[in-house]
Amino acid sequence: MDKCIACGLCAQKCPKKVDDEFNMGLSKRKAIYIKYGQSVPLKYAIDPENCIYLTRGKCRACEKFCPTGAINFDDKEEIIQLNVGAIITAPGFKPFDPSILDSYAYDKIPDVVTSLEYERLLSAGGPYMGHLVRPSDEQEPKKIAWIQCVGSRDTNKCSNEFCSSVCCMYAIKQALVTKEHLSGDTELKQSIFYMDIRTHGKEFERYYEDAKEKGVEFVRARPHTLEPGKDNRGVIIRYVDEDGNVINDEYDMVVLSVGLEAPKGAKDLSNIMGFDLDEYNFAKTSSFNTVQTSKKGIYVTGAFGGPKDIPQAVTEASTAAAEAAKLLSKARGTLTKKKTYPKEIDVTCEKPRIGVIICSCGINISNVVDVKELVEFAKTLPNVEYVENTMFSCSTDTQYLIIEKIKEYNLNRLVVAACTPRTHEPLFQETLRDAGLNEFLVEMANIRNQNSWVHQNDPKAATEKAKDQIKMAIAKATLNSPLKRLKIKVNQKALVIGGGVSGIVSALTLANLGYECILIEKHSKLGGNAWNLETTYKKEKIRPWLNAQINRVENHPKIEVLKNTELKEVTGTIGNFEAKVQSGDEIRNIGFGAAIVCVGATEYKPTEYLYGEDPRVLTSFEFEAKLREKIIAPEKINSVVFIQCVGSRDKERPYCSRVCCTHTMEKAIRLKEKNPDLQVFVLYRDIRTYGTREKLYKKARDLGVIFIRYTLSNKPEVRLENGDLVVLTTDPIIKLPVKIHADYLCLASAIIPTNNIEISDLFKLSKNTDGFINEAHPKLRPVDATTDGVFLAGLCNYPKSIDESIAQAEAAAGRASIILSKDYMELDAIKSFVSDNCDGCGLCVDVCPYSALSIVEIQDQDGTIKKRISADPALCKGCGLCEATCPKGGILVHGFTLDQIEAQIQTLLAN
Amino acid sequence: MIKFKVIEIANTFGVHRNTVTNWIKRGVLKAKPVVGRKYVISENDFIAFAEQNHIPRRTLEEFIKKNKIQKTEFKLTKEDQGFSNHPQEPSPKNKYRETIMNTSRPVGSVLVLGGGIAGIQAVLDLADSGYFVHLVERSSGIGGVMAQLDKTFPTNDCAM
Repeated sequence: MDKCIACGLCAQKCPKKVDDEFNMGLSKRKAIYIKYGQSVPLKYAIDPENCIYLTRGKCRACEKFCPTGAINFDDKEEIIQLNVGAIITAPGFKPFDPSILDSYAYDKIPDVVTSLEYERLLSAGGPYMGHLVRPSDEQEPKKIAWIQCVGSRDTNKCSNEFCSSVCCMYAIKQALVTKEHLSGDTELKQSIFYMDIRTHGKEFERYYEDAKEKGVEFVRARPHTLEPGKDNRGVIIRYVDEDGNVINDEYDMVVLSVGLEAPKGAKDLSNIMGFDLDEYNFAKTSSFNTVQTSKKGIYVTGAFGGPKDIPQAVTEASTAAAEAAKLLSKARGTLTKKKTYPKEIDVTCEKPRIGVIICSCGINISNVVDVKELVEFAKTLPNVEYVENTMFSCSTDTQYLIIEKIKEYNLNRLVVAACTPRTHEPLFQETLRDAGLNEFLVEMANIRNQNSWVHQNDPKAATEKAKDQIKMAIAKATLNSPLKRLKIKVNQKALVIGGGVSGIVSALTLANLGYECILIEKHSKLGGNAWNLETTYKKEKIRPWLNAQINRVENHPKIEVLKNTELKEVTGTIGNFEAKVQSGDEIRNIGFGAAIVCVGATEYKPTEYLYGEDPRVLTSFEFEAKLREKIIAPEKINSVVFIQCVGSRDKERPYCSRVCCTHTMEKAIRLKEKNPDLQVFVLYRDIRTYGTREKLYKKARDLGVIFIRYTLSNKPEVRLENGDLVVLTTDPIIKLPVKIHADYLCLASAIIPTNNIEISDLFKLSKNTDGFINEAHPKLRPVDATTDGVFLAGLCNYPKSIDESIAQAEAAAGRASIILSKDYMELDAIKSFVSDNCDGCGLCVDVCPYSALSIVEIQDQDGTIKKRISADPALCKGCGLCEATCPKGGILVHGFTLDQIEAQIQTLLAN
Repeated sequence: MIKFKVIEIANTFGVHRNTVTNWIKRGVLKAKPVVGRKYVISENDFIAFAEQNHIPRRTLEEFIKKNKIQKTEFKLTKEDQGFSNHPQEPSPKNKYRETIMNTSRPVGSVLVLGGGIAGIQAVLDLADSGYFVHLVERSSGIGGVMAQLDKTFPTNDCAM
């Protein structure tokens, strides 16, 4: 394996072709293969089931052609024994196999594909290089349908009762991005056949509305038969529309939105390891600890714990890591080593020798920009010694290539023309360090996001623009100088803001990981919104658990709880924050290295449906409280009506509050179980009992709860008739008005982010348009806030259920502990510095948003006292406002000095 | 019968050798001196003593195996099995027990099964906070299903 240089000669010569499972069998690969272009590790592997030599004893072609002698046919499977302190299982899921559904004829009609196959058809690394064609005749499809809930929410043809949570969103995404993968101005029609659209995640609802506006058609129907079109090309969908008409509609292509099932070896894994599975073969967990299996020391994360989307899986991965770390905290650091880098070569006095890497990014760049022309162009530029075009410059083999070429050509600067430095600069910086160069000698030109993506229709101009971008990057790189990162001592203590469930769990996790923390709460009582809830969706009682947790937090020697306390001021930066907190009249200073923001949210108070005018109209929390206090006795009443989406999913708040459907199901079931004769109506728009919560929806229907759908344009009306509470709505199936006499009306009201404004100002966190605090990256950094060293958990980030809040809180604590585990922290080196030109006029002090600048008095060589600016690198974020303000070039920012910027502009304007 | 040197017991229990000598003198540890500065003790007495002091079963078994004179196999009585379920938390009063607990410290490494996005994130978090991690993946490359996706909502970043 060490010998393989991934040249690909073996695969070229291998005579055996097999279906490529990475491309879902849509293309072929050889019996010796890499999984995909950027595979980690990038080493060719022999597939023993298909290799001609290993199955029939003859061939060995790859061995003959391998230039490094890396092929070893004697390499056998071996059993390796590992001694570990904990195990995290993340085997993922299995996409549902639709071939068992004979009416969808997935096996027979070539143009019926699964969603994962469709994803490969769209992908630049896929069988058609990102140019969408249908499988039957390789023509561009113009009319595409998606069928939702294939293998989900179905106990009839398969036994998958649960909702797979992610399919609605991926179908909408696929429908919207399809256009980019077709040539020019193809008229495209996309239809999505659905039962309920479940866009319950952050920004999902807005995306759904956007898709509707952009012409994606949403059809509420469950197609029952798919038939091949003429010559077995295209597909005819037969379905019954809402008016009861049978419709036959022909589409060029049909995508089956297949659900997520438990992974193949789930049962074996649970047998070997001795943990339990639930009724769907997912790993069994509790709502209060979503990653702990029934066996101590074994954790589960990802879709094996139940169907979930990427952010949730990433969050829970951090949760599982935190749990494992908690268990092994005593042994932390006993088996790890520190990475060492070669000694840095001093290049300050050398003439610039620049290497240029031009990335094709699959086809993302090369489809629009002529990369060959760029290579030739770059070669003509001053100081450029080496130019290379790579398929994916972020792949591991390119990093090795870069290191090799730096040594070969004695390069001392690197320019990478590829994507955004936001995601990829750290990678190339690391590569430079590995090559013995200072990491700040790399410069990136973003010829993807700022060029090929936005100028898809004008390849010629895009290529010219790319040339300019590269030219400018090279001009800047020439003036790049080695920089040193600032090291600061980490204050190994955390601040948790908010004492709800998320805050409590964060604090406890941190304390159990061995870090001191301070928990501050605005009110006099810990627990927050959780006091208003009765049970989790898995029917576990919340209050006893909550009491126990509060008890533990209040008595933990490493946690200091400050109630009736508010955060007033925050200064400092990751690893070393300072805060002022106020309890009553007393103001206290606190130092900490990381903060977890769990300020929660509140229940919306409705302004419609007679709320506040009639005592029988209650919000969900109020209804729950009256049930608990036995003011509402289910045995003594005749009818209860629930109205969903009150204050959610409308113009003012275009987001789904995620938990209300599940909460309503819980209450409806409880009412029905106490009194089967009680009539329970739920007026809804889409039922969003995602994941295994679907079980509750089914149970509610089985118990006889009546569900009536309404639309935003035709909302139910609530009236008083002779003192009776009357709800009027229209039943969409019988198409007649319905009048319900209700004893109580429970409004599933929205969750609103009321506490976020102050906290996000204090920490300079960004919020979305709805007011929820944003994560650093919606998919890959779902618990990190946009400010380094600050983490998010619970409702302040987005509405979520108690189990999701707990998982996120633990994940946030785990992520924070990564900072706290270090004695010293390295900060960015892009910071302001004061030059000799400074005369202490102080203009920059006013513009600095981070209070990093101050005026100091210094003594000159000849003894006169002068005023000058002093910059605090720990506070400086390198924004550059000071540099732009200073009229004399007296304050500059490393890496973005006036010289460098001027050089860029001069180069651009040279012609 | 079990034959031992004072230092062996001291090491096993994590205490000073003089402490062991004192125990024997006081009769807490019912051992009798034999030739070669060694002591013998009956197995039952030793187990009872160990039980009182919450010595982890594994340590106990190992010690007995090493130092046993008779060839009969060491079998656990019912009480011993019960004892194995006892919590092995050290009490602060007896320092030496804590030393024993330290000898059976947790292993500072974690096994992660599955190299999809969830597995990768777990591995990174653990490695960043000071644990050695083994990542096991069935196929020849990591990345899982996310690597197969084209673009992801809402940033349109390639999933790669």
